[in-house]
Amino acid sequence: MRKVLLVARHEFLTNLRRPGFIFMTLFVPVLGLVGLAVVSLAGGRAANLLREQFAPEGRPIAYVDHSGLFSPALPQYGKLFTQYPGEAQALQALRDRKETTVLVIAADYLQSGKVAAYSLRSGFSSQVASDSDTVRSFLIDHLVEGKIDPPTAARLRDPLNVVPVMLDQDGKPSTTGTTGVVLGFIIPYLMSILLIMTIFTSSGYLLQGIGTEKDSRVIELLVSSLSSTQLMAGKILGLGALGLAQVLFWVLSGWGLLLLASGLLALAGTLPVSLPQIGLSIVYFLLGYLLFGTLMAAAGALGTSLREGQQIAGIFSMGAALPFMAISFIFANPNSTLAVVLSYFPFSAPVTMMLRLGLTQVPWYQLLISTALLVGAVLVSLWAGAKVFRLGLLMYGKRASPTEVWRALRQA
Amino acid sequence: MQTIRINNLVKCYADLCAVDNLSFEVQAGEIFGLLGPNGAGKTSTIRMIMDIIRPDSGSIEIMGQPPSLRTMERIGYMPEERGLYPDLKLLECLVYLAELKGMPRSRARARALDLLRRVDLSGYAGQKVRALSKGMQQKVQFIVTIMHEPELVILDEPFQGLDPVNTELIKAMIVELKHQNVSVVMSSHLMNQVEQMCDRILLVDHGQAKLYGPLHEIKARYGRRTVLVELSNGELFPGHLQGVLRVTRSGNQYEIVLAEDGSPASVLEQLVAARAPIARFEIGSMPLDQIFISVVAEHGKTSSVPADKEHRA
Repeated sequence: MRKVLLVARHEFLTNLRRPGFIFMTLFVPVLGLVGLAVVSLAGGRAANLLREQFAPEGRPIAYVDHSGLFSPALPQYGKLFTQYPGEAQALQALRDRKETTVLVIAADYLQSGKVAAYSLRSGFSSQVASDSDTVRSFLIDHLVEGKIDPPTAARLRDPLNVVPVMLDQDGKPSTTGTTGVVLGFIIPYLMSILLIMTIFTSSGYLLQGIGTEKDSRVIELLVSSLSSTQLMAGKILGLGALGLAQVLFWVLSGWGLLLLASGLLALAGTLPVSLPQIGLSIVYFLLGYLLFGTLMAAAGALGTSLREGQQIAGIFSMGAALPFMAISFIFANPNSTLAVVLSYFPFSAPVTMMLRLGLTQVPWYQLLISTALLVGAVLVSLWAGAKVFRLGLLMYGKRASPTEVWRALRQA
Repeated sequence: MQTIRINNLVKCYADLCAVDNLSFEVQAGEIFGLLGPNGAGKTSTIRMIMDIIRPDSGSIEIMGQPPSLRTMERIGYMPEERGLYPDLKLLECLVYLAELKGMPRSRARARALDLLRRVDLSGYAGQKVRALSKGMQQKVQFIVTIMHEPELVILDEPFQGLDPVNTELIKAMIVELKHQNVSVVMSSHLMNQVEQMCDRILLVDHGQAKLYGPLHEIKARYGRRTVLVELSNGELFPGHLQGVLRVTRSGNQYEIVLAEDGSPASVLEQLVAARAPIARFEIGSMPLDQIFISVVAEHGKTSSVPADKEHRA
């Protein structure tokens, strides 16, 4: 155990001093600080600027009215909406690039609601324009004109202004405001990214460390000083502690930033992350790291060189990246079969669960199955990793064949 | 008590046996030479002693115990494949590796500084290992080996890559270890380089022992088998001599290897009878590699497997 701690201490300290590690650890909070500064300095303007990038408000729209419900246009829309007598002229104007969006309102609009939206091939924002609030208001206002009083008409245009109220642990309502809801989405997302970054850096250092020890031949001195299991355990422990320290630093600085933000932007201060959620993230971080760490250690030992070890390890990394490929599905429906399967599959479980925890109430049995499977995978990888590690350590210039790996695994 | 006792050690790979029924002992406080050509099985033997690879059969005892992590702490090992942490500072590297061998940190620090002073590297203690020259790294490698005050030091090809000055420095330090009653095992394929230091040797070839025993005995046994003759005119060497196996000429000097039935006296008699102008007549001490060659020649080819590559686990 003393030697395990020695190796752990050595790995922790030498990697802590790496310029790459220091840069990355500081980079994340600095980025947050810069973002915060921009937002608070530019105030609301920044948000508007962002909205304008996509929002179509103010873009002129051409239309052809076959239903007769929208002719002539109400005066307040006269500026934005240009009416064309027929489709042919309107589409010609589109082709000549005089117009960007042409709406053709069907004759049976009242029954079908059909509006054909024409735009040029490249016009992503034109398509957005056809589905915008402006177009909705235009349609609504013409339909109800003279039939209802103006306040009702106005409400009809914008019928919903949600005030989210969440019940806290004591069941008392607390208004965190829209920001709270947004943070509820963003925080698990950011946390899962940090989680995967940390898992990858720690296990990457592990891989790199073993690769260098093999390349520099110091490995023969090591295995004649301590057992390969001690060596592997020490490395995993030391780098795991380093990764955890990094996450802790990020979380604490994030907390500080958030406090700063609530001061600067006068946001409601309650953090939409609960204590169990933080606890679970730590569990998933540790298990995820152990899984990837042991696999990377084995990969590093098996490769004939650092580079080859990294190639082998790349296969495992794919598994961790899976949830990010499916992220839109998970966001859209955090309880879909795909999301559940991904949170069971050990390689993708840590990230997927992090995301889902922020998005939805994950049933307890799913948490149980997912952690159980992850623990099982960790145990298998520790067991197999230690064996393969020993086999790979002393093979220089020669690749371990699958048969040799298999034989090493069977020799209990 | 013997420091190392090895009995009928065998290690075979798919196509050949690197170590084939080898038995030998290393006494406390002696310098033991494990000699033989490349691929003879020296490194495989050492790796089995160090518990890096496991023997197929046979037994190894180190200080009365089978090899284990506990015995490893009492051994200093310099592998054939040298290696240090290139990105660590020299002092840190030495201390870390000694700590792994069980030495407390503060003592390791003091000893590292002391040893660095001995080999003229104190100025480099704070430098990164990769900044050192190759020769310096070799010296550091030797320091790593003896850092934790081992009772047994195993050096695989210790003088490989060292210049003559540093070779002498390391040789002096090895002799000093012997005076401190540390057992030293040196392997080398350059037999002449280590022979004058060794108390006893084991000559291996194709994984088998060819010669084993105290060096002076072996020398005495084979040394009388050569005669060195110098003539004032080399052309006057007699064409045929009785009881002679082989004659090698270099200028006016002749190295005569005696046959089983020959003797230095009979050669001298024959030279005098032939009126050869003798300037020098010397009963030779045969260099170890010559002894090796003649032993292999006598035994004949015992194995047909080429030994051109050293086998690794």
